[in-house]
Amino acid sequence: MGTSVESKQEKLLRRLKELGIPSAAAIGAFSSLAKPESRKTAPPVPPLIQVDLSKPFAPSHKYALSLTLGRAGSVHLFSNSLIGVAIGAADRIYVLGDGQVFIFEPGGNLVRKWKAQEHASCLVVSPDKKVFIGASGRVEIYGDEGNRLGGFSIGDGSKPASVTSIKINRSEILVADAAARLIHRYDINGRRLGEIGTQGHSGFMLPNRTLDIAVDSRNVIWAADAGRHRVSSWNSDGQPIGRFGKFGTHNVEDFVGCCNPVNIAVAPDGKIVTGEKVAARVKVYSSEGKILAVIGSEHFDPNCLHLHLAVDSKGRVIVADPVRLQLKVFSPDINSGVRESL
Amino acid sequence: MSEKSSRRQFIDLSFRIAGIAGIGGAAALLTKRASGNAVFQVDPAKCAACDLCRTSCVLSHSAVKAVNNFSECGYCQLCPAYYDVASQPDEMGLPTGKTCPQEALKRRVVGKVDKDDPNNNYYEYTIDESLCDGCGKCVKACKPPAGNGSLHLQVRYSRCLECDACSIQRVCPQNAIVRVPTPGLSPAKKHA
Repeated sequence: MGTSVESKQEKLLRRLKELGIPSAAAIGAFSSLAKPESRKTAPPVPPLIQVDLSKPFAPSHKYALSLTLGRAGSVHLFSNSLIGVAIGAADRIYVLGDGQVFIFEPGGNLVRKWKAQEHASCLVVSPDKKVFIGASGRVEIYGDEGNRLGGFSIGDGSKPASVTSIKINRSEILVADAAARLIHRYDINGRRLGEIGTQGHSGFMLPNRTLDIAVDSRNVIWAADAGRHRVSSWNSDGQPIGRFGKFGTHNVEDFVGCCNPVNIAVAPDGKIVTGEKVAARVKVYSSEGKILAVIGSEHFDPNCLHLHLAVDSKGRVIVADPVRLQLKVFSPDINSGVRESL
Repeated sequence: MSEKSSRRQFIDLSFRIAGIAGIGGAAALLTKRASGNAVFQVDPAKCAACDLCRTSCVLSHSAVKAVNNFSECGYCQLCPAYYDVASQPDEMGLPTGKTCPQEALKRRVVGKVDKDDPNNNYYEYTIDESLCDGCGKCVKACKPPAGNGSLHLQVRYSRCLECDACSIQRVCPQNAIVRVPTPGLSPAKKHA
């Protein structure tokens, strides 16, 4: 069906097979005589998807690399994994990697580190210095010294929750569950308050099985809806507010590939920061979706499936590269752009 | 005496020949039995989707085809294995180019359909094996980070001639063509 007529060679080989005659010699002879081109070396592997930015882009804001932690020169901080970053009090940087929580001063000095629970996948730090760590189906709560304070289970038990992001919204804990494709709302004691992403919505589309969220100073919840190539915003009651973004490889403001953006953070002044795979880049938008800046792929490994993000009080964008096991801090150029207010 | 010697030598030689023939026959039988218990298959963890499966199979239409592991597939609207995502978009914002030169990769909407917003739909991707020539372009486009890696090349035993020496294996630069017990555990499941 749909195949070409068998060649004489193929007929002979099939007949040999039917007769049970070892055909190694015959195959070798035919292969060498009939298909000399099969001895060619493998063609070169073409590169990953090339992002064609046909339209020129003049950023209104600029960011410069100001600090690198991790595999910089001979310093190896993270050995196996780098899977989350958050900002705490006094702009301390909390990093989840190698099964531990690392706490750095804003300048990069390591303050302390302590062991986290197994399968930890994300973290957030509350204003009172409690560290909330999400793992498979649970949230564990630790003090700043690593002392465990408590925890609670996620989901209604019908399906194991896949906790991929955790944030704090006033007194609520928001837990992104990629298995259920929604955001759970819990109080500090683990009492379920509701969910976000289901009202007027069929749930987030997550082909890459990960959902990242962020909360801004107005308590608006932002979600990286990767399968729809958009960023969506929600209020605390779960009502949808708006969205921006679309698929595209020719305009820098668009999101490339099958599913992007994969990561999201919010700056104190309301700027939205997104992380993309394939293009391996970080972009900064206004809250209305206007592209402001791009932190290009030259800084990150092209094989990254994630670029974990956080923004401190000074607008510095902290990016965790899980392939190169590096933490990079990008400071805004204060002479670029117009200071935007919400 | 000389007659007895020559008779003895003849009998001795006869037994030697019979012994060698017996050992050789047993070896051939064991080899055939062993090769009959294993087949060639593509190990997805090693496969680089380099196009040699298409050009090196003894069949004019390669026995190697792309297959989709639905449990890994994201059912994306914008599948990079289906669409050439770098091509110019149409008026709907979808790429105009296709990755598969043979258009063997088929796409259909599944589940609850939102006619107003295609972004809300899931799409199933299947391969028309009568058109697939095993070039692996879709497999390469599906590899992470672009895709989930659900597409991979596999030898289809309904077409494979089960050559004693696979001509693709001889040229595969990744040594991705391996022997597996028939017709059972494929390398794809081994790496699951």
